[in-house]
Amino acid sequence: MKPAIHDFSPPYAKTTGVKWLLNELVDHLWPWSKQGWRQHKAIQTAGLAMAIAATTAWGLAANGQLGASAVIGWWLGWSVYEIIIRLQCKPYIKDGPWWGHQYRSAACMDMICYVMFKNLLIGAVLFIALRNLGLLQMVD
Amino acid sequence: MNTQSSAASSAFHAIKACMVLIGWYFIVTLSFSAAFSTAALADSDKETGPSEQEHHAKESHSGSYEAPLPVNLSTDPDLCAYVPCHDVFPNADHFSPRKGRPAYVEAYRNKNGKHKESDNNEDDGERELIGYVFLSTDIVDIPAYSGKPVVTLIGMNIAGKIVGVKVLRHSEPILLVGIPESELTKFIKQFVGKYAWDKVEIGKARAEGGYIGIDAISGATVTVISENQVVMRCAYEVAKQVGIIKAVPRPQAKFTSTSEQHTWDELLAEGSVQHLKVSPADVGLDNTGQSYIDLYFGYLNTPAIGRSILGERNYAGLMADLKPNEHAIFIVANGAASFKGSGFVRGGIYDRVQVSQDMDSFTFRDTDYRNLYNIRATGAPEFNESAIFIIRSTSFSAAYPWSLVFLGNKVDKQTGTRTFANFDREYWLQDSYMEGGRPVVIKPDPTWLKIWKSRIWEIAAFVVILLFTTVTYANRDWLVRHSSRKEKRWVSIPKYAIWLTSIGFIGFGLMAQPSITQVLTWFHSILFQWKWELFLSDPFIFIFWLFIIVTVFVWGRGLFCGWMCPFGSLSEILYKAAGAVGLRRFQFEPPMRWHNRLKWVKYGIFWGLLAVSFFSMGLAERLAEVEPFKTTFLVGLFNRSWPYTLFTATLLGLSLFTERPFCKYLCPLGAALAMPTTFRWFGLKRKAECTTCTACARGCGPQAIDAQGHIDSRECLLCLDCQILYYDDHACPPLSKERKLREKSGLPLTRINAAGYYIPIHPVPAKRANE
Repeated sequence: MKPAIHDFSPPYAKTTGVKWLLNELVDHLWPWSKQGWRQHKAIQTAGLAMAIAATTAWGLAANGQLGASAVIGWWLGWSVYEIIIRLQCKPYIKDGPWWGHQYRSAACMDMICYVMFKNLLIGAVLFIALRNLGLLQMVD
Repeated sequence: MNTQSSAASSAFHAIKACMVLIGWYFIVTLSFSAAFSTAALADSDKETGPSEQEHHAKESHSGSYEAPLPVNLSTDPDLCAYVPCHDVFPNADHFSPRKGRPAYVEAYRNKNGKHKESDNNEDDGERELIGYVFLSTDIVDIPAYSGKPVVTLIGMNIAGKIVGVKVLRHSEPILLVGIPESELTKFIKQFVGKYAWDKVEIGKARAEGGYIGIDAISGATVTVISENQVVMRCAYEVAKQVGIIKAVPRPQAKFTSTSEQHTWDELLAEGSVQHLKVSPADVGLDNTGQSYIDLYFGYLNTPAIGRSILGERNYAGLMADLKPNEHAIFIVANGAASFKGSGFVRGGIYDRVQVSQDMDSFTFRDTDYRNLYNIRATGAPEFNESAIFIIRSTSFSAAYPWSLVFLGNKVDKQTGTRTFANFDREYWLQDSYMEGGRPVVIKPDPTWLKIWKSRIWEIAAFVVILLFTTVTYANRDWLVRHSSRKEKRWVSIPKYAIWLTSIGFIGFGLMAQPSITQVLTWFHSILFQWKWELFLSDPFIFIFWLFIIVTVFVWGRGLFCGWMCPFGSLSEILYKAAGAVGLRRFQFEPPMRWHNRLKWVKYGIFWGLLAVSFFSMGLAERLAEVEPFKTTFLVGLFNRSWPYTLFTATLLGLSLFTERPFCKYLCPLGAALAMPTTFRWFGLKRKAECTTCTACARGCGPQAIDAQGHIDSRECLLCLDCQILYYDDHACPPLSKERKLREKSGLPLTRINAAGYYIPIHPVPAKRANE
């Protein structure tokens, strides 16, 4: 039996080892869940649009055709969208150390902090990687 | 379903509320900013006399912070038409156009004492040369704390004595909103009277080595260290060029007879050919997919390298042409720019490349140039440009490290101003090519390392304090178990000691108060250019941030905010002291309803500052004056103009009556740290009964415990009061209840376990007991 959406722990919470790590990774990168996705057509449409727009923005950024403010604007836009979608689809966050299996229900501020901070780390890694590969140049 | 829609609804409400708060914050702070800007001007004028004020007014109304400079300041031959050369050389009647490489202008005085206008002929016998004036950005490219250079105009007489220094433009945030600019003026005046060859250091004079000490500006160490390098290096360069400082010969390299030829890749691998690449972004241009310049170079006198690059015959020909103490280097390049530039066409000088060795630099004239038609080393790629340059000086020696410097023109996109930007790559011949190998070279420490070395004992003391705090907090369980609600000394004594140390030693002594501006600088560095030197240049802030990052992830922001932050400590100690001297009856906690609204303001301030910083770092720095840290610790409450003093005094005054008002509602740094605190690894202990019992919430100073007994880790300052209660069997209601039951039943009071309850008593069956 699949856990209900209001069950705060993710379905993979009981798994261990590499399987759990992979599930965690996917969970951080993929904000949607099947149930949340099916239930809201508006979110479905907005999600598709955001995914296309974000991909386009990253492509342009990689080609050096987007300035700093445009990239940051997209980052912020995507983060706001992700907060809303996660509150619908995955309304939980990790409680305690990252290696633990304890989760708790996410309040709005918990989700804002989680998404903003996670995306900041992902963004920083992407920026550094793209810049070191010579694909992105930010001029101050 | 209801859960989902209420979650989405609360998300929308929260975002809406944030937007409203950010909006209000900017309306209020921009008004404050206007008042503060006026006050900043008052600050800078306060220490100058009326005539100086008048002079300043004529020049500029906003000091030299980001002062606009003429677009062609770096390129126009008539330097003194754009900058006030008279200010740094008042005795001069006439200034020549730019000369030499690096550029300087000559200062002349009329022999008959009469002022003579608009005559460019300085050799008419009526004028005498009395000195030189030069612009720092024509000579060196040394960034200050902001990452941008302090543009300085320097005057030096013919004896090599500095006679005037003037800062034309700087981008140092601390000098905009913290320290009055008059401090910078006072600092640079210390260079007047120093000679170009003097060894000047910030701090006390050192007899050994003949170092002359000059006073620093408290709170702007990095700025003054870089400015010291700028002024003294420029004076030395010009003094050497005009012959005031004579060239000192260096011992020359003796090459081994190794002459086996190498491929291009082998030469690159062993370091005999070096690579220097400059991207368009490095010089302020848009990315075109092509390097600005992609340059390779090497030293040709060494037989093995020279033969590999030129071939046997060409090498022999070149060596036959060279006189003793002459050296040949080759440069080849691809890219959008030319390393030959166009300067040699006009004045016979190659203005894009030079060689530097220690304090000496060697430029090339057209007579130093030879054609290089092709590279003979196997595997060498094709190049657009190639050249051989001859260094003719006994001061140059291939036995010691040297650098090829490419001088680019960096364009400021906002102003269009062009400044020189130096890009260099070190070169040092391999051991195997020199008899006896490489000589021992003691390289001077980088600036940041000098700072660390000069403050080693303070750094050690600071680290000890941080370790003490960490160890103390890590043992909190022991401390709270030995304390009770009425007797908290095991927690209070170390905490008060840490607070006092934080205020006195860290805040006022080391001026190591972390600030939101450092977080903004990080964001910018990640996006644009990460420079370790920038962060290492302030050892205390660097170490403090390592401590903050680690402890925020382990325990949350509370250990820094509640135990170590100098301003937070000052604020809370004022609150405690006020309570102790009889003001307790006036002390209050804001109603929870208002607290729960006001606590979001700090997040709005943080996000607002971050957003503004991407458009204007200067404006973000101004708005960051919402932090009273500079006024309290860096500059001093009574050294600033009244709006700053009033703002800080209001916050501190309010702290007497309510606990940490700034930390709870305004601190953007606290907000920045609160966000990752959501994921802190180890939280505080709670019992099942905590969800219905509100005993510890009533005594929670930071008001971090809600009606359901949850601790909001983002608001919690780890005061440990709730943890003391957790183990206190006279104060924690469920524990107290059990104590009373046990006492009534005559059961022993066992030790309280980690879950916060007496260890259960399990009666042993009588039969087993008999066995």
